[in-house]
Amino acid sequence: MFELQNMTVRFSFGEALREASLRINPGDRIGIVGESGSGKSMLAACLMGMVPDAAELTGTLGVDGIDMTHASEAHWQTIRARRVAMIFQEPMSALNPLRRVGETVAEPMRVHLGLGKAQARARVSALFKEVGIPDPDSRLRMFPHELSGGQRQRVLIALALACDPELLIADEPTTALDANVALKITDLLVDLSRTRNMALVFISHDLAAVARATTDIAVMYGGDIVERGRTAEVLANPVHPYTQGLLAARPDPRAVPRDANGRRRRLPTIPGTVPPLYKLPQGCRFSGRCAVERSACAYVKPAPVGPRHATCHAITQDTL
Amino acid sequence: MTLLRAQNLTRRYRLPRTKLLGPAPQLTAVDNISFDITAGQTLGVVGESGSGKSTLARMVMAFETPDAGNIQFEGQDIHALKSAELRRLRPAFQMIFQDPFSSLDPRRNVGWSIAEPLRAMGMHAPERVAEAFGQVGLHPQDAGKYPHEFSGGQRQRIAIARAIVTRPKLLIADEAVSALDVSVQAQILNLLMDLQDDLGLGILFISHDLAVVASICDTLLVLQHGKALEHGAASDILNNPAHRYTQSLLKAAGDRL
Repeated sequence: MFELQNMTVRFSFGEALREASLRINPGDRIGIVGESGSGKSMLAACLMGMVPDAAELTGTLGVDGIDMTHASEAHWQTIRARRVAMIFQEPMSALNPLRRVGETVAEPMRVHLGLGKAQARARVSALFKEVGIPDPDSRLRMFPHELSGGQRQRVLIALALACDPELLIADEPTTALDANVALKITDLLVDLSRTRNMALVFISHDLAAVARATTDIAVMYGGDIVERGRTAEVLANPVHPYTQGLLAARPDPRAVPRDANGRRRRLPTIPGTVPPLYKLPQGCRFSGRCAVERSACAYVKPAPVGPRHATCHAITQDTL
Repeated sequence: MTLLRAQNLTRRYRLPRTKLLGPAPQLTAVDNISFDITAGQTLGVVGESGSGKSTLARMVMAFETPDAGNIQFEGQDIHALKSAELRRLRPAFQMIFQDPFSSLDPRRNVGWSIAEPLRAMGMHAPERVAEAFGQVGLHPQDAGKYPHEFSGGQRQRIAIARAIVTRPKLLIADEAVSALDVSVQAQILNLLMDLQDDLGLGILFISHDLAVVASICDTLLVLQHGKALEHGAASDILNNPAHRYTQSLLKAAGDRL
Protein backbone atom coordinates (compact mmCIF):
# COMPACT_ATOMS: atom_id res chain seq x y z
CA MET A 1 0.00 0.00 0.00
CA PHE A 2 2.67 2.49 1.12
CA GLU A 3 6.22 1.60 0.23
CA LEU A 4 9.46 3.52 0.70
CA GLN A 5 12.38 2.14 -1.27
CA ASN A 6 15.93 3.34 -0.64
CA MET A 7 14.61 6.78 0.23
CA THR A 8 17.32 9.36 0.88
CA VAL A 9 16.51 12.91 1.98
CA ARG A 10 19.54 15.11 1.36
CA PHE A 11 19.97 18.69 2.48
CA SER A 12 22.91 20.91 1.60
CA PHE A 13 24.28 20.27 5.10
CA GLY A 14 23.76 16.51 5.29
CA GLU A 15 21.45 13.54 4.90
CA ALA A 16 18.45 13.43 7.23
CA LEU A 17 17.42 10.01 5.93
CA ARG A 18 19.61 7.49 4.12
CA GLU A 19 18.35 4.67 1.92
CA ALA A 20 15.35 3.94 4.10
CA SER A 21 13.03 1.18 2.99
CA LEU A 22 9.71 0.49 4.65
CA ARG A 23 6.64 -1.38 3.49
CA ILE A 24 3.29 -0.69 5.09
CA ASN A 25 0.29 -2.94 4.47
CA PRO A 26 -3.29 -2.46 5.65
CA GLY A 27 -3.63 -3.12 9.37
CA ASP A 28 0.14 -3.16 10.02
CA ARG A 29 1.29 -1.64 13.29
CA ILE A 30 4.86 -0.45 12.92
CA GLY A 31 6.92 1.31 15.57
CA ILE A 32 9.70 3.72 14.64
CA VAL A 33 12.07 4.30 17.53
CA GLY A 34 15.16 6.42 17.83
CA GLU A 35 16.43 9.47 19.64
CA SER A 36 16.40 13.12 18.58
CA GLY A 37 17.97 13.55 15.17
CA SER A 38 17.58 9.89 14.20
CA GLY A 39 15.41 10.74 11.19
CA LYS A 40 12.14 9.30 12.46
CA SER A 41 10.16 12.48 11.91
CA MET A 42 11.69 12.87 8.43
CA LEU A 43 10.48 9.37 7.62
CA ALA A 44 6.98 10.47 8.64
CA ALA A 45 7.33 13.62 6.53
CA CYS A 46 8.11 11.43 3.50
CA LEU A 47 4.95 9.39 4.03
CA MET A 48 2.91 12.61 4.34
CA GLY A 49 4.53 14.32 1.34
CA MET A 50 5.72 17.05 3.65
CA VAL A 51 9.49 16.98 3.11
CA PRO A 52 10.82 20.57 3.01
CA ASP A 53 11.40 21.96 -0.51
CA ALA A 54 15.11 22.46 0.22
CA ALA A 55 15.63 18.68 0.37
CA GLU A 56 16.67 16.52 -2.54
CA LEU A 57 14.88 13.16 -2.66
CA THR A 58 16.24 9.99 -4.19
CA GLY A 59 14.59 6.59 -4.05
CA THR A 60 10.87 6.01 -4.40
CA LEU A 61 7.73 6.38 -2.37
CA GLY A 62 4.97 4.28 -3.81
CA VAL A 63 1.32 4.67 -2.84
CA ASP A 64 -0.61 1.74 -4.28
CA GLY A 65 2.09 1.34 -6.89
CA ILE A 66 2.04 5.00 -7.98
CA ASP A 67 5.35 6.79 -7.49
CA MET A 68 4.64 9.85 -5.33
CA THR A 69 8.29 10.82 -4.76
CA HIS A 70 8.10 13.98 -6.85
CA ALA A 71 4.33 14.37 -6.90
CA SER A 72 2.82 17.86 -6.92
CA GLU A 73 1.25 19.45 -3.87
CA ALA A 74 -2.15 19.22 -5.60
CA HIS A 75 -1.68 15.48 -6.01
CA TRP A 76 -0.67 15.12 -2.35
CA GLN A 77 -3.81 16.95 -1.27
CA THR A 78 -5.86 14.11 -2.73
CA ILE A 79 -3.81 11.62 -0.66
CA ARG A 80 -3.53 13.39 2.67
CA ALA A 81 -6.41 13.03 5.14
CA ARG A 82 -8.10 10.42 2.90
CA ARG A 83 -5.24 7.97 2.53
CA VAL A 84 -2.74 9.03 5.18
CA ALA A 85 -3.19 11.25 8.23
CA MET A 86 -1.00 12.23 11.11
CA ILE A 87 -1.27 12.99 14.81
CA PHE A 88 1.28 15.51 15.93
CA GLN A 89 3.16 15.60 19.16
CA GLU A 90 1.81 18.55 21.09
CA PRO A 91 -1.87 18.30 22.04
CA MET A 92 -1.59 21.81 23.48
CA SER A 93 -0.49 23.60 20.32
CA ALA A 94 -1.95 21.45 17.54
CA LEU A 95 -5.51 22.74 18.06
CA ASN A 96 -6.67 26.25 17.21
CA PRO A 97 -7.54 27.80 20.59
CA LEU A 98 -10.16 30.10 19.02
CA ARG A 99 -12.24 27.37 17.39
CA ARG A 100 -14.60 24.89 18.93
CA VAL A 101 -13.02 21.44 18.67
CA GLY A 102 -16.05 20.13 16.73
CA GLU A 103 -15.48 22.71 13.98
CA THR A 104 -11.81 21.80 13.78
CA VAL A 105 -12.58 18.11 13.35
CA ALA A 106 -15.37 18.85 10.83
CA GLU A 107 -13.13 20.95 8.58
CA PRO A 108 -11.37 18.12 6.69
CA MET A 109 -14.74 16.40 6.15
CA ARG A 110 -16.17 19.54 4.62
CA VAL A 111 -13.07 20.30 2.53
CA HIS A 112 -12.09 16.81 1.37
CA LEU A 113 -15.38 14.92 1.42
CA GLY A 114 -17.69 17.85 0.62
CA LEU A 115 -20.01 17.10 3.52
CA GLY A 116 -22.66 19.62 4.60
CA LYS A 117 -22.69 21.14 8.05
CA ALA A 118 -25.25 18.79 9.61
CA GLN A 119 -23.69 15.67 8.06
CA ALA A 120 -20.24 16.67 9.24
CA ARG A 121 -21.53 17.35 12.73
CA ALA A 122 -23.14 13.93 12.99
CA ARG A 123 -19.91 12.34 11.82
CA VAL A 124 -17.83 14.31 14.32
CA SER A 125 -20.15 13.18 17.08
CA ALA A 126 -19.80 9.54 16.01
CA LEU A 127 -16.01 9.90 15.78
CA PHE A 128 -15.79 11.45 19.25
CA LYS A 129 -17.70 8.47 20.54
CA GLU A 130 -15.36 6.09 18.72
CA VAL A 131 -12.25 7.69 20.26
CA GLY A 132 -13.74 7.53 23.75
CA ILE A 133 -14.82 11.10 24.39
CA PRO A 134 -17.80 10.98 26.77
CA ASP A 135 -20.87 13.08 26.00
CA PRO A 136 -19.65 13.91 22.46
CA ASP A 137 -22.46 16.31 21.55
CA SER A 138 -21.55 18.74 24.30
CA ARG A 139 -17.78 18.22 23.98
CA LEU A 140 -17.74 19.23 20.33
CA ARG A 141 -18.92 22.69 21.35
CA MET A 142 -16.00 23.15 23.70
CA PHE A 143 -12.76 25.02 23.13
CA PRO A 144 -9.39 23.26 23.51
CA HIS A 145 -8.60 24.92 26.85
CA GLU A 146 -11.71 23.34 28.37
CA LEU A 147 -10.35 19.84 27.75
CA SER A 148 -7.66 17.89 29.58
CA GLY A 149 -4.46 16.81 27.83
CA GLY A 150 -5.75 13.29 27.27
CA GLN A 151 -9.08 14.58 25.89
CA ARG A 152 -7.23 16.92 23.53
CA GLN A 153 -5.15 14.04 22.26
CA ARG A 154 -8.39 12.14 21.60
CA VAL A 155 -9.71 15.13 19.65
CA LEU A 156 -6.54 15.12 17.56
CA ILE A 157 -7.01 11.42 16.89
CA ALA A 158 -10.60 12.12 15.80
CA LEU A 159 -9.27 14.90 13.54
CA ALA A 160 -6.81 12.50 11.92
CA LEU A 161 -9.58 9.92 11.42
CA ALA A 162 -11.98 12.47 9.92
CA CYS A 163 -11.64 11.14 6.37
CA ASP A 164 -11.09 7.45 7.24
CA PRO A 165 -7.38 7.20 6.35
CA GLU A 166 -5.78 3.86 5.54
CA LEU A 167 -2.60 4.87 7.30
CA LEU A 168 -2.35 6.79 10.56
CA ILE A 169 1.01 8.22 11.57
CA ALA A 170 1.33 9.05 15.25
CA ASP A 171 4.43 11.15 16.01
CA GLU A 172 5.22 10.90 19.74
CA PRO A 173 1.49 10.70 20.59
CA THR A 174 2.05 9.94 24.28
CA THR A 175 5.16 11.94 25.11
CA ALA A 176 3.37 14.94 26.63
CA LEU A 177 0.94 12.81 28.65
CA ASP A 178 0.99 11.35 32.18
CA ALA A 179 1.86 7.65 32.39
CA ASN A 180 -1.65 6.35 33.00
CA VAL A 181 -3.21 8.54 30.30
CA ALA A 182 -0.45 7.53 27.88
CA LEU A 183 -1.39 3.87 28.34
CA LYS A 184 -5.03 4.58 27.50
CA ILE A 185 -4.14 6.57 24.37
CA THR A 186 -1.78 3.82 23.23
CA ASP A 187 -4.48 1.19 23.69
CA LEU A 188 -7.00 3.38 21.83
CA LEU A 189 -4.68 3.63 18.81
CA VAL A 190 -4.28 -0.15 18.77
CA ASP A 191 -8.06 -0.67 18.97
CA LEU A 192 -8.69 1.79 16.14
CA SER A 193 -6.08 0.10 13.97
CA ARG A 194 -7.72 -3.29 14.60
CA THR A 195 -11.35 -2.31 14.12
CA ARG A 196 -10.70 -0.18 11.04
CA ASN A 197 -7.98 -2.39 9.54
CA MET A 198 -5.99 0.83 9.44
CA ALA A 199 -2.19 0.78 9.32
CA LEU A 200 -0.49 2.54 12.23
CA VAL A 201 3.00 4.00 12.21
CA PHE A 202 3.82 4.75 15.84
CA ILE A 203 6.84 7.01 16.21
CA SER A 204 8.25 7.31 19.69
CA HIS A 205 11.35 7.33 21.82
CA ASP A 206 9.28 5.59 24.51
CA LEU A 207 10.12 1.91 24.08
CA ALA A 208 7.45 0.76 26.52
CA ALA A 209 4.73 2.49 24.50
CA VAL A 210 6.08 1.07 21.23
CA ALA A 211 6.20 -2.40 22.73
CA ARG A 212 2.57 -2.10 23.71
CA ALA A 213 1.31 -0.60 20.46
CA THR A 214 3.13 -2.35 17.64
CA THR A 215 3.86 -5.74 16.13
CA ASP A 216 6.87 -4.64 14.05
CA ILE A 217 9.59 -2.15 14.74
CA ALA A 218 12.30 -0.18 12.93
CA VAL A 219 15.13 1.29 15.01
CA MET A 220 16.72 4.45 13.63
CA TYR A 221 20.00 6.21 14.27
CA GLY A 222 21.51 9.12 12.38
CA GLY A 223 19.08 8.81 9.45
CA ASP A 224 19.57 5.06 8.99
CA ILE A 225 17.20 2.26 9.84
CA VAL A 226 19.75 0.16 11.75
CA GLU A 227 17.57 -2.79 12.69
CA ARG A 228 14.04 -4.03 12.13
CA GLY A 229 11.89 -7.01 12.95
CA ARG A 230 9.05 -8.20 15.14
CA THR A 231 8.77 -5.77 18.06
CA ALA A 232 8.91 -8.39 20.79
CA GLU A 233 11.93 -10.11 19.23
CA VAL A 234 13.93 -6.94 18.63
CA LEU A 235 13.34 -5.62 22.15
CA ALA A 236 14.06 -8.97 23.78
CA ASN A 237 17.11 -9.76 21.70
CA PRO A 238 18.55 -6.70 19.93
CA VAL A 239 21.41 -7.39 17.50
CA HIS A 240 22.60 -3.92 16.48
CA PRO A 241 25.05 -2.32 18.96
CA TYR A 242 22.96 0.88 19.02
CA THR A 243 19.74 -0.95 19.84
CA GLN A 244 21.58 -2.87 22.54
CA GLY A 245 22.97 0.35 24.04
CA LEU A 246 19.61 2.10 23.91
CA LEU A 247 17.79 -0.74 25.66
CA ALA A 248 20.48 -1.06 28.33
CA ALA A 249 20.38 2.68 29.12
CA ARG A 250 16.77 2.63 30.30
CA PRO A 251 16.39 2.82 34.05
CA ASP A 252 14.71 -0.18 35.65
CA PRO A 253 12.41 0.60 38.59
CA ARG A 254 13.12 -2.78 40.17
CA ALA A 255 16.91 -2.56 40.09
CA VAL A 256 18.60 -2.09 43.44
CA PRO A 257 20.15 1.38 43.36
CA ARG A 258 22.90 0.72 45.95
CA ASP A 259 25.13 -2.32 46.43
CA ALA A 260 26.28 -3.78 49.77
CA ASN A 261 29.05 -1.16 50.05
CA GLY A 262 26.55 1.64 49.64
CA ARG A 263 27.78 2.40 46.13
CA ARG A 264 25.05 3.42 43.76
CA ARG A 265 24.62 1.35 40.63
CA ARG A 266 25.38 3.43 37.53
CA LEU A 267 23.28 3.12 34.38
CA PRO A 268 24.96 1.67 31.30
CA THR A 269 25.50 4.49 28.79
CA ILE A 270 26.37 4.96 25.15
CA PRO A 271 29.53 7.10 25.12
CA GLY A 272 29.51 10.48 23.39
CA THR A 273 26.60 12.30 21.81
CA VAL A 274 24.68 12.13 18.52
CA PRO A 275 26.70 14.28 16.10
CA PRO A 276 24.92 17.01 14.16
CA LEU A 277 23.79 16.13 10.62
CA TYR A 278 26.80 17.73 8.93
CA LYS A 279 29.25 15.78 11.10
CA LEU A 280 27.74 12.31 10.72
CA PRO A 281 30.33 9.69 9.74
CA GLN A 282 30.24 8.63 6.07
CA GLY A 283 30.09 4.92 6.83
CA CYS A 284 28.15 3.55 9.76
CA ARG A 285 26.44 6.51 11.43
CA PHE A 286 27.05 4.93 14.83
CA SER A 287 30.83 4.75 14.42
CA GLY A 288 32.70 6.85 16.94
CA ARG A 289 30.31 5.72 19.70
CA CYS A 290 30.26 1.99 19.11
CA ALA A 291 31.82 -0.63 21.39
CA VAL A 292 32.51 -3.15 18.60
CA GLU A 293 33.79 -0.69 16.01
CA ARG A 294 36.26 -1.78 13.35
CA SER A 295 38.59 0.34 11.26
CA ALA A 296 36.34 0.36 8.18
CA CYS A 297 33.17 1.35 10.05
CA ALA A 298 33.58 5.11 9.76
CA TYR A 299 34.09 5.02 5.97
CA VAL A 300 32.11 2.11 4.57
CA LYS A 301 28.35 2.06 4.81
CA PRO A 302 27.32 -1.33 6.20
CA ALA A 303 24.89 -3.32 4.08
CA PRO A 304 21.80 -4.70 5.81
CA VAL A 305 22.47 -8.22 7.12
CA GLY A 306 20.16 -11.06 7.97
CA PRO A 307 16.45 -11.12 8.77
CA ARG A 308 16.80 -8.02 10.97
CA HIS A 309 18.39 -6.00 8.15
CA ALA A 310 20.93 -4.88 10.74
CA THR A 311 23.38 -2.36 9.32
CA CYS A 312 26.56 -3.31 11.18
CA HIS A 313 29.94 -4.54 9.95
CA ALA A 314 30.39 -6.60 13.11
CA ILE A 315 27.32 -8.66 12.29
CA THR A 316 27.67 -11.44 9.74
CA GLN A 317 25.43 -14.32 8.82
CA ASP A 318 27.54 -16.48 11.16
CA THR A 319 27.20 -14.30 14.23
CA LEU A 320 23.43 -14.04 13.86
CA MET B 1 22.80 14.21 59.00
CA THR B 2 19.49 15.83 58.22
CA LEU B 3 20.00 18.64 55.77
CA LEU B 4 16.45 19.70 55.22
CA ARG B 5 13.33 18.98 57.19
CA ALA B 6 9.87 19.81 55.89
CA GLN B 7 7.03 19.56 58.36
CA ASN B 8 3.32 19.51 57.57
CA LEU B 9 3.68 21.63 54.43
CA THR B 10 0.44 22.89 52.98
CA ARG B 11 -0.05 25.26 50.08
CA ARG B 12 -3.41 26.41 48.76
CA TYR B 13 -4.22 28.45 45.68
CA ARG B 14 -7.31 30.49 45.19
CA LEU B 15 -9.21 29.48 42.07
CA PRO B 16 -11.23 31.88 39.91
CA ARG B 17 -14.60 32.75 41.40
CA THR B 18 -17.44 30.62 40.06
CA LYS B 19 -20.19 32.56 41.84
CA LEU B 20 -20.60 36.29 42.33
CA LEU B 21 -21.08 35.92 46.06
CA GLY B 22 -19.43 33.63 48.52
CA PRO B 23 -15.78 32.65 48.90
CA ALA B 24 -13.64 31.73 45.91
CA PRO B 25 -12.94 28.00 45.76
CA GLN B 26 -9.49 26.84 46.78
CA LEU B 27 -7.16 24.23 45.43
CA THR B 28 -4.90 22.51 47.93
CA ALA B 29 -1.82 21.91 45.78
CA VAL B 30 0.24 20.48 48.63
CA ASP B 31 -1.57 18.93 51.56
CA ASN B 32 0.22 18.29 54.85
CA ILE B 33 3.49 16.88 53.49
CA SER B 34 6.49 16.12 55.70
CA PHE B 35 9.90 14.77 54.70
CA ASP B 36 13.60 14.85 55.51
CA ILE B 37 16.55 15.05 53.15
CA THR B 38 19.85 13.66 54.39
CA ALA B 39 23.27 14.76 53.18
CA GLY B 40 24.59 12.37 50.52
CA GLN B 41 21.14 10.89 49.93
CA THR B 42 18.36 11.46 47.44
CA LEU B 43 14.67 11.93 48.10
CA GLY B 44 12.66 11.09 45.00
CA VAL B 45 9.27 12.69 44.48
CA VAL B 46 7.01 11.11 41.88
CA GLY B 47 3.53 12.01 40.72
CA GLU B 48 1.63 13.04 37.63
CA SER B 49 1.03 16.60 36.46
CA GLY B 50 -1.01 18.54 39.00
CA SER B 51 0.09 16.36 41.90
CA GLY B 52 1.95 19.22 43.59
CA LYS B 53 5.55 18.23 42.74
CA SER B 54 6.62 21.60 41.43
CA THR B 55 4.83 23.54 44.17
CA LEU B 56 6.85 21.47 46.63
CA ALA B 57 10.08 22.36 44.81
CA ARG B 58 9.22 26.06 44.78
CA MET B 59 8.56 26.02 48.53
CA VAL B 60 11.85 24.26 49.22
CA MET B 61 13.58 26.92 47.10
CA ALA B 62 11.72 29.60 49.12
CA PHE B 63 10.19 30.97 45.92
CA GLU B 64 6.85 30.42 47.60
CA THR B 65 5.70 30.48 51.20
CA PRO B 66 3.63 27.61 52.59
CA ASP B 67 0.22 28.39 54.07
CA ALA B 68 1.00 26.01 56.91
CA GLY B 69 4.01 24.05 58.06
CA ASN B 70 7.66 24.96 57.75
CA ILE B 71 10.91 24.03 56.06
CA GLN B 72 14.13 23.96 58.03
CA PHE B 73 17.43 23.97 56.22
CA GLU B 74 20.16 22.98 58.69
CA GLY B 75 17.86 24.00 61.49
CA GLN B 76 16.87 27.41 60.10
CA ASP B 77 13.30 28.06 59.04
CA ILE B 78 13.93 29.40 55.53
CA HIS B 79 10.56 31.11 55.27
CA ALA B 80 11.15 33.03 58.50
CA LEU B 81 14.46 34.50 57.33
CA LYS B 82 14.81 38.12 56.25
CA SER B 83 15.53 38.50 52.56
CA ALA B 84 19.19 39.42 53.13
CA GLU B 85 19.66 36.37 55.35
CA LEU B 86 17.95 34.15 52.82
CA ARG B 87 20.23 35.51 50.10
CA ARG B 88 23.26 34.58 52.20
CA LEU B 89 21.90 31.06 52.61
CA ARG B 90 20.93 30.56 48.93
CA PRO B 91 24.31 29.35 47.68
CA ALA B 92 23.77 26.27 49.85
CA PHE B 93 20.67 25.10 47.97
CA GLN B 94 20.44 25.35 44.22
CA MET B 95 18.03 24.22 41.56
CA ILE B 96 18.29 22.52 38.16
CA PHE B 97 15.36 23.30 35.93
CA GLN B 98 13.59 21.10 33.43
CA ASP B 99 14.20 22.74 30.12
CA PRO B 100 17.86 23.20 29.19
CA PHE B 101 16.77 25.24 26.17
CA SER B 102 15.02 28.05 28.01
CA SER B 103 16.92 28.11 31.30
CA LEU B 104 20.13 29.53 29.75
CA ASP B 105 20.38 33.08 28.40
CA PRO B 106 20.88 32.66 24.61
CA ARG B 107 22.75 35.98 24.33
CA ARG B 108 25.40 35.26 26.95
CA ASN B 109 28.19 32.74 26.69
CA VAL B 110 27.77 29.81 29.03
CA GLY B 111 30.75 30.83 31.17
CA TRP B 112 28.86 33.99 32.03
CA SER B 113 25.71 32.00 32.86
CA ILE B 114 27.59 29.59 35.10
CA ALA B 115 29.24 32.47 36.97
CA GLU B 116 25.89 34.16 37.59
CA PRO B 117 25.20 32.61 41.03
CA LEU B 118 28.71 33.64 42.09
CA ARG B 119 28.08 37.22 41.01
CA ALA B 120 24.87 37.15 43.02
CA MET B 121 27.07 36.29 46.02
CA GLY B 122 29.35 39.20 45.13
CA MET B 123 32.15 36.84 44.11
CA HIS B 124 34.44 36.85 41.13
CA ALA B 125 35.99 33.41 40.95
CA PRO B 126 36.92 32.15 37.47
CA GLU B 127 38.70 29.16 39.03
CA ARG B 128 35.37 28.05 40.53
CA VAL B 129 33.74 28.25 37.10
CA ALA B 130 36.54 26.19 35.58
CA GLU B 131 36.19 23.66 38.40
CA ALA B 132 32.44 23.34 37.81
CA PHE B 133 33.04 22.83 34.08
CA GLY B 134 35.38 19.95 34.88
CA GLN B 135 32.98 18.41 37.38
CA VAL B 136 30.21 18.09 34.79
CA GLY B 137 32.54 16.73 32.10
CA LEU B 138 32.88 19.80 29.89
CA HIS B 139 36.08 21.49 28.73
CA PRO B 140 36.90 24.86 30.33
CA GLN B 141 37.41 26.19 26.77
CA ASP B 142 33.67 25.68 26.22
CA ALA B 143 33.02 28.66 28.52
CA GLY B 144 33.22 31.04 25.57
CA LYS B 145 30.53 29.26 23.59
CA TYR B 146 26.83 30.11 23.47
CA PRO B 147 23.93 27.80 24.43
CA HIS B 148 22.88 27.10 20.82
CA GLU B 149 26.27 25.49 20.19
CA PHE B 150 25.47 22.68 22.63
CA SER B 151 23.17 19.66 22.44
CA GLY B 152 20.36 19.19 24.94
CA GLY B 153 22.42 16.89 27.14
CA GLN B 154 25.38 19.26 27.17
CA ARG B 155 23.07 22.14 28.05
CA GLN B 156 21.77 20.18 30.99
CA ARG B 157 25.39 19.65 32.06
CA ILE B 158 25.83 23.42 31.89
CA ALA B 159 22.70 23.91 33.99
CA ILE B 160 24.13 21.46 36.54
CA ALA B 161 27.48 23.29 36.51
CA ARG B 162 25.62 26.51 37.29
CA ALA B 163 23.86 24.82 40.18
CA ILE B 164 27.01 23.37 41.76
CA VAL B 165 29.29 26.36 41.22
CA THR B 166 28.29 27.78 44.62
CA ARG B 167 29.24 24.46 46.26
CA PRO B 168 25.72 23.77 47.53
CA LYS B 169 24.76 21.14 50.06
CA LEU B 170 21.36 20.52 48.51
CA LEU B 171 20.34 20.23 44.86
CA ILE B 172 16.74 20.44 43.75
CA ALA B 173 16.18 18.78 40.37
CA ASP B 174 12.68 19.35 38.99
CA GLU B 175 12.16 17.07 35.95
CA ALA B 176 15.85 17.61 35.22
CA VAL B 177 16.16 14.70 32.78
CA SER B 178 12.61 14.55 31.40
CA ALA B 179 13.37 16.51 28.23
CA LEU B 180 16.35 14.30 27.33
CA ASP B 181 16.68 11.22 25.13
CA VAL B 182 17.09 7.88 26.90
CA SER B 183 20.84 7.50 26.35
CA VAL B 184 21.50 11.11 27.34
CA GLN B 185 19.22 10.73 30.34
CA ALA B 186 21.39 7.85 31.57
CA GLN B 187 24.53 9.98 31.23
CA ILE B 188 23.02 12.85 33.23
CA LEU B 189 21.65 10.55 35.94
CA ASN B 190 25.13 9.01 36.30
CA LEU B 191 26.62 12.51 36.50
CA LEU B 192 24.27 13.41 39.34
CA MET B 193 25.24 10.17 41.15
CA ASP B 194 28.96 10.98 40.67
CA LEU B 195 28.50 14.50 42.00
CA GLN B 196 26.57 13.19 44.97
CA ASP B 197 29.37 10.74 45.81
CA ASP B 198 32.09 13.36 45.37
CA LEU B 199 30.41 16.31 47.05
CA GLY B 200 28.08 14.63 49.54
CA LEU B 201 25.09 16.44 48.08
CA GLY B 202 21.57 15.95 49.29
CA ILE B 203 19.26 15.80 46.28
CA LEU B 204 15.54 16.41 45.96
CA PHE B 205 14.77 14.66 42.68
CA ILE B 206 11.35 15.28 41.18
CA SER B 207 9.97 13.44 38.16
CA HIS B 208 6.81 12.00 36.69
CA ASP B 209 8.82 8.94 35.60
CA LEU B 210 9.01 6.34 38.34
CA ALA B 211 11.78 4.33 36.65
CA VAL B 212 14.00 7.40 36.51
CA VAL B 213 13.32 8.31 40.14
CA ALA B 214 13.89 4.72 41.22
CA SER B 215 17.36 4.67 39.67
CA ILE B 216 18.62 7.52 41.83
CA CYS B 217 16.61 7.83 45.06
CA ASP B 218 17.11 6.41 48.56
CA THR B 219 13.77 7.53 49.94
CA LEU B 220 10.64 8.02 47.92
CA LEU B 221 7.55 10.17 48.22
CA VAL B 222 4.57 9.37 45.98
CA LEU B 223 2.22 12.30 45.50
CA GLN B 224 -1.31 12.39 44.19
CA HIS B 225 -3.51 15.48 44.27
CA GLY B 226 -1.13 17.09 46.74
CA LYS B 227 -1.28 14.24 49.25
CA ALA B 228 1.46 11.81 50.19
CA LEU B 229 0.26 8.34 49.23
CA GLU B 230 3.46 6.62 50.22
CA HIS B 231 6.64 7.79 51.87
CA GLY B 232 9.59 5.73 52.97
CA ALA B 233 12.64 3.76 51.86
CA ALA B 234 12.57 3.49 48.09
CA SER B 235 13.31 -0.23 48.06
CA ASP B 236 10.35 -0.94 50.37
CA ILE B 237 7.90 1.02 48.26
CA LEU B 238 9.16 -0.30 44.92
CA ASN B 239 9.19 -3.92 46.08
CA ASN B 240 5.96 -3.73 47.96
CA PRO B 241 3.79 -0.80 46.89
CA ALA B 242 0.92 -0.36 49.32
CA HIS B 243 -1.21 1.88 47.19
CA ARG B 244 -2.96 1.03 43.96
CA TYR B 245 -1.76 4.24 42.35
CA THR B 246 1.87 3.33 43.02
CA GLN B 247 1.21 -0.13 41.65
CA SER B 248 -0.18 1.36 38.45
CA LEU B 249 2.83 3.69 38.10
CA LEU B 250 5.15 0.76 38.65
CA LYS B 251 3.26 -1.26 36.10
CA ALA B 252 3.40 1.60 33.59
CA ALA B 253 7.14 1.94 34.13
CA GLY B 254 7.76 -1.78 34.23
CA ASP B 255 5.42 -2.73 31.41
CA ARG B 256 8.43 -2.76 29.21
CA LEU B 257 8.69 -5.64 26.87
